[in-house]
Amino acid sequence: MSNSKQTMSRRDFFKASGLVAAGAVGGPALLGGLKKAQAAPMAAPAWDSKFSACDMCFNKCGLIARVEDGIIKKLDPNPKFLKSRGMLCARGNAGLDQVYDPDRLKHPLLRKGARGEGKWQRIPWDEAIDMAAQKMEEVRKKYTPCGHLFSAGTDLHSKFVGRFAEVYGSFNVTSHESLCLVSGNRAFLDTYGEVPFPDVLNSKYIIMAGANRFEALVTPDSIDLMTAIRENGCKLVTLDPRYTKTAALSDEWYPIRPGSDMAFMLALAHVIIGEKLYNPQWIEEKTYGLDQLTEHVKQYTPGFAAEQCGIPAEDITRMARELAAAAPAAMIYPGRRTSDYEDSTQIRRSFAIVNGLLGNWDRPGGLLAARQVGLKGVSYDAPWYDENQEDRIDAHKVPMMFEHEGSFLVTRDSVLAEDPYPIKGWFVYKTNPMGTAPNRKKTIEMMNKMDFVTVVDIAMSDTAWFADLVLPSQSYLERTDPCAGLQGSVACACVVKRDPIIKSLYESRSLFDIMKGVAGKMDLGEYFDFTIEEFRKKQTREIPEALEVMDRDGVYYNPSKVYGIYEGRIYKTLSKKVELYNQRYEQMGLDPMPVYTPPTKVPKNQFRLVLGRDAAVTQTSTINNKLLNELNPTNTLWLNIEAAGKLGIADGDLVEVSSSVGRQELKAEVTDRIRKDTVYMLSGYNTLSTMQTLSHGNGASINELLDDDYDTITGNASMHTTFVTVTRKVA
Amino acid sequence: MAQQLAMVIDAAKCIDCKGCVVACKVANEVPEGQWRNWIKPTSDTPVPGKKSDTARFQPGACMHCDNPTCVEACPTGATYKDKETGEVVINEGLCIGCGNCIPACPYDARFRNEVKRKADKCNYCPERRAAGIPPACVDTCPTKARVFGDINDPESEAGRLFRKNKARLTRVAAKTDTKPNMYYLGNPGPGEWGREAIIPASMVVMKQSAPLVKGIVALSGLGVLAMLGRQLFVGSDSDHKEDSDA
Repeated sequence: MSNSKQTMSRRDFFKASGLVAAGAVGGPALLGGLKKAQAAPMAAPAWDSKFSACDMCFNKCGLIARVEDGIIKKLDPNPKFLKSRGMLCARGNAGLDQVYDPDRLKHPLLRKGARGEGKWQRIPWDEAIDMAAQKMEEVRKKYTPCGHLFSAGTDLHSKFVGRFAEVYGSFNVTSHESLCLVSGNRAFLDTYGEVPFPDVLNSKYIIMAGANRFEALVTPDSIDLMTAIRENGCKLVTLDPRYTKTAALSDEWYPIRPGSDMAFMLALAHVIIGEKLYNPQWIEEKTYGLDQLTEHVKQYTPGFAAEQCGIPAEDITRMARELAAAAPAAMIYPGRRTSDYEDSTQIRRSFAIVNGLLGNWDRPGGLLAARQVGLKGVSYDAPWYDENQEDRIDAHKVPMMFEHEGSFLVTRDSVLAEDPYPIKGWFVYKTNPMGTAPNRKKTIEMMNKMDFVTVVDIAMSDTAWFADLVLPSQSYLERTDPCAGLQGSVACACVVKRDPIIKSLYESRSLFDIMKGVAGKMDLGEYFDFTIEEFRKKQTREIPEALEVMDRDGVYYNPSKVYGIYEGRIYKTLSKKVELYNQRYEQMGLDPMPVYTPPTKVPKNQFRLVLGRDAAVTQTSTINNKLLNELNPTNTLWLNIEAAGKLGIADGDLVEVSSSVGRQELKAEVTDRIRKDTVYMLSGYNTLSTMQTLSHGNGASINELLDDDYDTITGNASMHTTFVTVTRKVA
Repeated sequence: MAQQLAMVIDAAKCIDCKGCVVACKVANEVPEGQWRNWIKPTSDTPVPGKKSDTARFQPGACMHCDNPTCVEACPTGATYKDKETGEVVINEGLCIGCGNCIPACPYDARFRNEVKRKADKCNYCPERRAAGIPPACVDTCPTKARVFGDINDPESEAGRLFRKNKARLTRVAAKTDTKPNMYYLGNPGPGEWGREAIIPASMVVMKQSAPLVKGIVALSGLGVLAMLGRQLFVGSDSDHKEDSDA
């Protein structure tokens, strides 16, 4: 009772009692007279409002920072920012806690103990830059330029990591994308010649499979999806082993058997072709391979698909008819993260092919081509190194890898095997493979292969935790960033930039300044001999008004064409048409049309582990955010009620989850919102770094459990192929 | 006609992203573990192949009621219904942090701010409105499920929605009918969670007495009252229950 927090100040007490007494005597009713004692009209806050773009996920939503005395008080949405429909989500609002996180990296740190032991020495920047340059030079001399790996996350400064790697001479650059979306991109690229942007807003029928758009926020799709179903009469069908929020708000939801989506899609194609529900003229003019596809999908009857995916055959037939009736304003939603199975490129090809049959390309409510933004690249002539490797370390191991993204998992295996050559240096910027790549033990092994690892980040991520040199970078609200062009389908094609909202905290520096410093020490200074402002001018040379407009509105819009971009234009495919049948795949010995292979049966007494996204979680970067952590204080294992009953597991019980590669403990969340054969948990928890106070030792690390299979076409991780056993931990 | 500031909410549009929840926390510096607003989910049973009629996420906060039981429970007049705007306001200068108002709100919209040691709840972000921008939760909402404004003003977005949908407007019922000014378009989602308002016995006794007596009681008993209130607040839940019989 005598807790000091609960005492009332004397001043408040006297103030209150005095006023109350006065009011009581004068007023007709007890204390009623006090209504006169209203607070004076509220004064507007004395804040400066500055534009920026969010960086709490990849979407880059326009924001207005409210700044008072050099401190950010609030981040608000920029109402003029059409791509996000003028919103800022929970993460966007919590950006404040990322900037002011007490766990932020403050000074350059040099490892003192063993890797991962957490012993650090603060060193001055000059020394840090010298050391980074010297170690990179050593690696290059000893192992050729390709002996150094560079990894950069989704960030407006990441292009400078790529530039540095190129002028340094290394082909080995990986991004986060091979742990996320490259197989989906491959599939659509190899069908349409480019990666589409769905016109969700104007669609009348959307089948959402392998995506969860109301929880995994993508702008403008997530917001437009709600407008479409609530105001535009769009029908939404969701296929998901979990009853997600998207599923709950859908017109129909089916708990599809994980890994069987392709059977469903090919059955849709079977019905659409069999019943001639397509637009023959469009198919004839715009697509290649209907005859082959007709033959190919004969075997994939709705009955066959029903057996595979657990969705009744008559519903599959009905959905095919409904889709076709709504076409071309109908779509199979392409999705974003497609790192799920070893044939995920072919799975998404089946999505792309159904869209092809719907004739929705480049038309309202369908899949749209990229719009003109107007930004230009800034070129440079990289030096040539004779003493170098022939190719990337992950080259030729999968047939259709994206050169500029690489495959992190193939790279990691190659580094471990030193095949075809050793990699001994690693530079990492704002990506956290130790926390996001499946099979964490292998990433630790990879670290142990390195002579020297430099990590630039704002926080001591698990990747930084195992590095030699850790350099504190500026947050997105402290930096000057190059321009970025954004595609917003029907909403916009636009450009954003960032300028410092507040003075840089601690000793943090921008990645650009760090690269410039290191390059200067390595005789590569000429490639970084400019300022970001000068760089932006070059980027916007064809839209010179853009910089000024961004200063005024926080965003520049290019009023470019939305529909009909492909009128009179050929598709960038071998047949110059939409490829239902992919001739290039045929030449390469790949299935030219997706061939369904049933997913491996879940072994007895085991579960398939699937991952998914939450609107308040961005991988490992948000768990240590105080505001966001309050929404998801820990992760739990979703376990079906019936399955839990058989195992004697009650809601909230501590369980051990083990796979072929690792084991973790966390609490069970017993629920009817997941299939009996499937379990699920959020990613980003149980970090190794003790400098991530809220995630260290909290919950379970999903990447410690996931095995490291990958898509055989692109090398994209396949994160839904792991089976686990679940047992109750006896206290 | 006087104003009635209110929210008109389309719960069917809410995707439970919690943007409003975090926006509110930051805008109002709400301490860790405390909240001025919320989203309440319906716990529906998933049925494959069928549209769920019950799945809804219900955004909520202080409902600025027409019959605010929190005002009744406040011993100092710190909480009052503003006649001009229809808001239920807390005058922090008068609030003694006694906590009487907390169980008096059947929607649990009030809490004692751990830092300020005063009653706290949604106030529609007056400093933001003074700056010409909407309350934080409304401003940030991705699907614009929350619409704020004067429902008596047909020109306002809230007023327009209010009028247009009059036939299907719903409110979240509580066991004590406080006549909330938070309106939902059609099905609000979870509907029966509002409890009974619990007003301390001492306040009820005083309300029944003649005005003069009340004045005297107020003058002489104020210190005692304040202390009592404080005790009630810092006491356990069972303290509240004893008073609820009155």
